[in-house]
Amino acid sequence: MGLGGTTLQTLKLATIPSPSSFRSVFKPSSRTFLYRNSHRQRPQFPLFSVRGFSASAVQATVTTAPKTTSPDEKGVKPQWKAAIDFKWIRDNKDTVASNIKKRNSNANLELVLELYNKMLNLQKLIVTHRKQEVERLRGERNAVANKMKGKLESAERQKLIEEGKDLKEGLLTLEEDLLKLIDELQQEAQCIPNMTHPDVPIGGEDSSTIRKTVGSPREFKFPVKDHLQLGKDLDLFDFDAASEVSGSKFYYLKNEAVMLEMGLINWTLLEVMKWGFTPLTTPEIVRSSVVEKCGFQPRGTNTQVYSIEGSDQCLIGTAEIPVGGIHMDSILSASLLPLKYVAVSHCFRTEAGAAGTATRGLYRVHQFSKLEMFILCQPEESDFYHEELIKIEEDLFSSLGLHYKTLDMASGDLGAPAYRKFDIEAWMPGLARFGEISSASNCTDYQSRRLGIRYRSSEPASTNPKKGKSNLSPPQFVHTLNATACAVPRMIVCLLENNQQEDGSVVIPEPLRPFMGGLELIQPKSR
Amino acid sequence: MGLGGTTFQTLKLATIPSPSSFRSVFKPLSRTFFYRNSHRQRPQFPLFSVRGFSASAVEATVTTAPKTTSPDEKGVKPQWKAAIDFKWIRDNKDAVAANIKKRNSNANLELVLELYNKMLNLQKLIVTHRKQEVERLRGERNAVANKMKGKLESSERQKLIEEGKNLKEGLLTLEEDLLKLTDELQQEAQCIPNMTHPDVPIGGEDSSTIRKTVGSPREFNFPVKDHLQLGKDLDLFDFDAASEVSGSKFYYLKNEAVMLEMGLINWTLLEVMKRGFTPLTTPEIVRSSVVEKCGFQPRGTNTQVYSIEGSDQCLIGTAEIPVGGIHMDSILSASLLPLKYVAVSHCFRTEAGAAGTATRGLYRVHQFSKLEMFILCQPEESDFYHGELIKIEEDLFSSLGLHFKTLDMASGDLGAPAYRKFDIEAWMPGLARFGEISSASNCTDYQSRRLGIRYRSSEQASTNPKKGKSNLSPPQFVHTLNATACAVPRMIVCLLENNQQEDGSVVIPEPLRPFMGDLELIKPKSG
Repeated sequence: MGLGGTTLQTLKLATIPSPSSFRSVFKPSSRTFLYRNSHRQRPQFPLFSVRGFSASAVQATVTTAPKTTSPDEKGVKPQWKAAIDFKWIRDNKDTVASNIKKRNSNANLELVLELYNKMLNLQKLIVTHRKQEVERLRGERNAVANKMKGKLESAERQKLIEEGKDLKEGLLTLEEDLLKLIDELQQEAQCIPNMTHPDVPIGGEDSSTIRKTVGSPREFKFPVKDHLQLGKDLDLFDFDAASEVSGSKFYYLKNEAVMLEMGLINWTLLEVMKWGFTPLTTPEIVRSSVVEKCGFQPRGTNTQVYSIEGSDQCLIGTAEIPVGGIHMDSILSASLLPLKYVAVSHCFRTEAGAAGTATRGLYRVHQFSKLEMFILCQPEESDFYHEELIKIEEDLFSSLGLHYKTLDMASGDLGAPAYRKFDIEAWMPGLARFGEISSASNCTDYQSRRLGIRYRSSEPASTNPKKGKSNLSPPQFVHTLNATACAVPRMIVCLLENNQQEDGSVVIPEPLRPFMGGLELIQPKSR
Repeated sequence: MGLGGTTFQTLKLATIPSPSSFRSVFKPLSRTFFYRNSHRQRPQFPLFSVRGFSASAVEATVTTAPKTTSPDEKGVKPQWKAAIDFKWIRDNKDAVAANIKKRNSNANLELVLELYNKMLNLQKLIVTHRKQEVERLRGERNAVANKMKGKLESSERQKLIEEGKNLKEGLLTLEEDLLKLTDELQQEAQCIPNMTHPDVPIGGEDSSTIRKTVGSPREFNFPVKDHLQLGKDLDLFDFDAASEVSGSKFYYLKNEAVMLEMGLINWTLLEVMKRGFTPLTTPEIVRSSVVEKCGFQPRGTNTQVYSIEGSDQCLIGTAEIPVGGIHMDSILSASLLPLKYVAVSHCFRTEAGAAGTATRGLYRVHQFSKLEMFILCQPEESDFYHGELIKIEEDLFSSLGLHFKTLDMASGDLGAPAYRKFDIEAWMPGLARFGEISSASNCTDYQSRRLGIRYRSSEQASTNPKKGKSNLSPPQFVHTLNATACAVPRMIVCLLENNQQEDGSVVIPEPLRPFMGDLELIKPKSG
């Protein structure tokens, strides 16, 4: 069921149907609202993609510190480590610095490099020290042992034991210093955003370029209603009851809106499966660490993430998180790649700070259903699959008869994980503007270096049988991509507003009808 | 599209697909695991149903206490009050006591009655006091005012003001005592379980009776696999990855299992809609108070409820909660009744304390999709609609070809809200036992007295025009009923285990195929 070789261009963007400004066709400042935002707190580090570093070499630098040494330190230290290639950063300092600037990130490259050098020095010092201490301890212990055989006096024996302890603790202190340094380095380095595709337009949100436009705005001969009015007239939502039961920005879908949701999910899933994607449902409660490893910020005052009380778990803001986690900490066989998934899930977002008319009705809500595509592939293929993802999105939205445009998002508007991001914005006549309905991102190895997802090609082994021992090629980090196939509430906004008739009814797009009991029209209730 | 007049018997039960013992065909001890359990902490109070009390009269007893008086008291006092008919409890003491015993509840009726009497006495005292105090204060104030006109000396004037304050505070203290007493009374009274339908078998779980049996166990000519083995062979689930990403008892559905979920939801929804139910999707995050008002226990060590950090919200364990909340604190017109809803939602449960082989695989999980039916009706109709609900469940499961039995659950096995409960248990050949797949409960006015859902009949008004002034009949509490239409993971267990073939494939039930891209068979992957 593959697509064949249909190639468009290559895109990559953050999965999340994020805010679109009410005034501008492009994005508001809070655009990349869920991802660790480079402008804000601590985004995470990515590596320039196509290079394919030896992961073992990279990790060796970090894992020197003995894990047993970490005592009762608490504080802000990370629970996990991203496999960041510090050596590459140091060797490509200028490129990384200009990328940070391009991305409008506040990552502190100088500090990262300084900490990295300190760490290298401390590691050397420890290695030397450890050798010496081990020698010295061995000698002393022998001495003590000999003396003990000669029935040492209890006080003197105690003194020697104390001396040995002190020496051991001296080394422990150095190793603790190293651990702290590594944590600090991780924290700072994780703020560094992914590198940027050379074709990405440089600048703020206004610099995003239009890549494609499909259709044109429908002309109405009658006064157009927005989706809220249509929903009210057709008895499709209940925001008031939800506000009492749950809080503002929650909603019940009612009547045909429920069928519309079902139709959208069912049809989209079957369509995307035709492209060779494996369907999934996912856990919607995940460990906070997985959220972080995908490049999101689960804690803090401005977080978009709901946390579960009394646990280290949170609710997912997008299925990208549990799908990204499926192959966490594993080495895949290259023959399995690409892995293409399409996941159905509910998504939960606090939407802290979001307010105003741009967020009315179903446009921005705390909970919604979404189908998300996710691909894991070899580095050299991620541009190709980014193209495939945007093609699938465009095909889906065209089949539903929408008028939309595809945008190549500007560097300043990318979340930290994205190497490139394509958004699709559809015309919403009731809101009288374009609104984001999907987002497709190529995250290259930004997420896989945090999630620990690598692959091993077996080719060198078979073609180089002479090399004997090193039969296996070193594992490399996969590239990950994610893209919205259907964010249900925004699609409902689009379909209601675009398909409304003068008599107040709404036409159901033909592809969805078989999944809605053959329903063709949403008509005003005759009460 | 009503069901017609088909009347069975009437049942009422807790919606939740709760544990079924591995050993027994009937229920394990932790059966009513989610509802406030009468055996455990503090279940809530119900009233015997068919009587239809005047709510205003009931509430008058409680609301005498001035609301303005509550100062900085904290502690365990309830945030809301159930409209419990204490007078009826007092007047029917023996019936209530026998019911408490029947239900194996630890509610303390003697204490409730004692507190109620105390409260009545205190109320009388306050009323008398208040009148006296008001009189006295008025007199004093006049005196003070007169003296003030005559330019009272500052210290004397101060003294009089202080005296007035003290008198006021004396009354305030009494009123605070009343508030505390009222809270204590609420807490104790909320432990009293609903009354019990006269036909409910009395006793523990073993006393539940079989009401109906459909089909017979399929005979297999080959070794039967359980759903976990089938899922593994057919690549339908991933528990291992979910355990890393989220924790144990989480899962990904994969491949045809995802389509099976979609098919089940889509088909069931359309079937139930044919019977006149309004479809809904619901918020899955709700205020804790709504959870409590439905008779569940959102806090405490043994709670089944996930709470959201830093808020008063939790995740729903069943759509019964948000649907029960839709008409919270309102008076419905009798002409709107019955209101029939079918809600699609995800459900989240901590499953604290659940363990063992009975909980393997998909049988007991933290998150699942469920379609839940919910009815609000007039008291005299709730037995009829309970019959309708169980008929719908039986029709649905028959259409899918399941072998099942319907149980009239014994009094000791009912959750506090249930007046009567019918469970359906289906044969699961891989697990080699019957397992609960649905539950239909008549909660009479237990939930509506907590949620504040009443209705007003206009008949009296129109037929008794002579009575003049009291045109409106007093509002009465509605009855609520809930019933599982489809708890997806348990249905998947049933379908996989019952429909397996010797070659390892699984036949899809015909009704579901149109929603699954016409898939007829789940075949082992050829990869």
